[in-house]
Amino acid sequence: MTTTVLDIKKDAYSGGEAANRRPFSHILYYLFMIFISCFYFYPILWLILSSFRENREIFSAPFALPEQVNLQNWSKAWTVGNMSTYASNSVIVTSATVAGILLFSSLAAFAFSKLRFRGSGFLMLMFVFGLFMPLQSFFIAQSYIFEQLNLKDSYMGLILPYIGTGLPLAIFLLKAYLDSVPKELLEAARMDGCNDWVMYSRIILPLLVPNMATVGIFSALNAWNELLLAMLYIQNDALKTIPVGLLAFSSRYMTDYKLLFSALAIITLPMIVVYLFFHRYIVAGLTEGALK
Amino acid sequence: MSGKSNKLSPYLFISPALLLFAFVVLIPVLMTFVFSFYDWNGIGQMKFTGFDNYIRAFQDRIYINSYGHTLIYIVATVVVEVLVGLGLAGLITMGRKGSGIFRLAFFVPVMLPMIVVSYLWKFVYNSDFGLINILLEKIGLESWTRVWLGNPDTALYAICIVSGWVYAGFYMTIFYSGIQRISKEVYESAYLDGAGEGQIFFKIKVPMIRNLVETGVMLCVLTGFQSFDLFYVMTNGGPYNSTEIVTTYLVKVVFTHMSIGYGSALAVIMTIVIAVIGLIAGRLNKKDSGVLEY
Repeated sequence: MTTTVLDIKKDAYSGGEAANRRPFSHILYYLFMIFISCFYFYPILWLILSSFRENREIFSAPFALPEQVNLQNWSKAWTVGNMSTYASNSVIVTSATVAGILLFSSLAAFAFSKLRFRGSGFLMLMFVFGLFMPLQSFFIAQSYIFEQLNLKDSYMGLILPYIGTGLPLAIFLLKAYLDSVPKELLEAARMDGCNDWVMYSRIILPLLVPNMATVGIFSALNAWNELLLAMLYIQNDALKTIPVGLLAFSSRYMTDYKLLFSALAIITLPMIVVYLFFHRYIVAGLTEGALK
Repeated sequence: MSGKSNKLSPYLFISPALLLFAFVVLIPVLMTFVFSFYDWNGIGQMKFTGFDNYIRAFQDRIYINSYGHTLIYIVATVVVEVLVGLGLAGLITMGRKGSGIFRLAFFVPVMLPMIVVSYLWKFVYNSDFGLINILLEKIGLESWTRVWLGNPDTALYAICIVSGWVYAGFYMTIFYSGIQRISKEVYESAYLDGAGEGQIFFKIKVPMIRNLVETGVMLCVLTGFQSFDLFYVMTNGGPYNSTEIVTTYLVKVVFTHMSIGYGSALAVIMTIVIAVIGLIAGRLNKKDSGVLEY
């Protein structure tokens, strides 16, 4: 007797069946969710629709479908906006940053987690301190140093600070994972005569691959979207990344809204496509990166 | 241990990370501290002025007010990001069909570069062709139309809404994964006792993920101080400094007015404020409960 009651209730909870019991609340639920979805998606949809319009249409009929799908706006925005240069700069800076972060953080996380050495506690504390340190606490002096070393207006001028500021969280996450790897595994390897380097490259690195994917995803997104340093350090238009490129673009075509909308759409759509394909990993990467 | 582990090798493993981190973060932090005691424009003579920059900072109305704005922004984001995210998490865990799609959909804005979001919403708020004013006109509320970002009374709140649009889905996802871990038996017995969805949300879901909610609030507070892109692109502190937050003002002082020394003092004060908040938050968390595991 009791078990049947339980089963019915379980069904009711796990979805579907609830509709038959309370159709009104069911409809209300979906209406509400669709309303929220509109709030989320209408701005993005409007952006993409507007990118196909003529400027006067943008002003006169913002809710209507565009008179014709005019991809000319897109190609014009792409060429006059130098978008291919900005995009390839972003790709170069982002991939170098991610590679640097993954290599350096995995090396350090291995040492912090599995090797004993003098000062390890203090050094780890330095990195934890870096977790909470906002960019604005040190960019003034960093900018001065980079000026003196001629690092401004070069890829390195972005890659180095992006790696440096990305390292604390990466080390923290990878170390937390390595701490859960049993010591015996490494002791056995040590007995067999492995040195530290062999242990790192043959045992630790393969173990860390899934976690490095997570770290790689949020590092990539951070580097891809970074604005402040890119804005301060890069004046040369040929070296600008997408965010600063967009800034430059918008000041040049301040009132040519169809071009601005097109440029924004060109940047937005690939991100959404990437998200649709890899959402599982991306969501895990971003939320874990922020919370651990 | 057989003697294969070299005394030096741990240092070799951490040295690339440590050297780079020291070069781009630690040394600049120390140098900023030193700069803050000088009157200096970055090129000419450095003049030691002791605590003058700090005294000036505490008399700088715009700077003091920028903390007020940051505070308003943080409180608002706790509401429109964490609380709304919590509500959304409750909604998508009610076990209705298709809620997975909503979960994916609400996360999309997190993916967009902040600069794209900023321009997009600058257009949405635009007084001539922006979505909001046109919508208000269409439904007969013409008197409500505003120059949203050009009006000191509305600009700051308008920006807060955008922040919510981006991050509510992010917090929703975090809370969602927490709620997913609550064992099904808990719900079942609640259903047997005749609890409604509202009661389940407030009596079971929220209390069970309290740790995550606290972490979310802390994240909001700490990242609130660091936000820059949104403010810089949408208003750059204007109109009449009504949206000036600490970071936008800092950039203005240093790179528009070329006051490196004064800017450094502002940065040091901000760092101390963040560190104190971080320490207090850490204390509270520790006292509250043991593990903060996600």
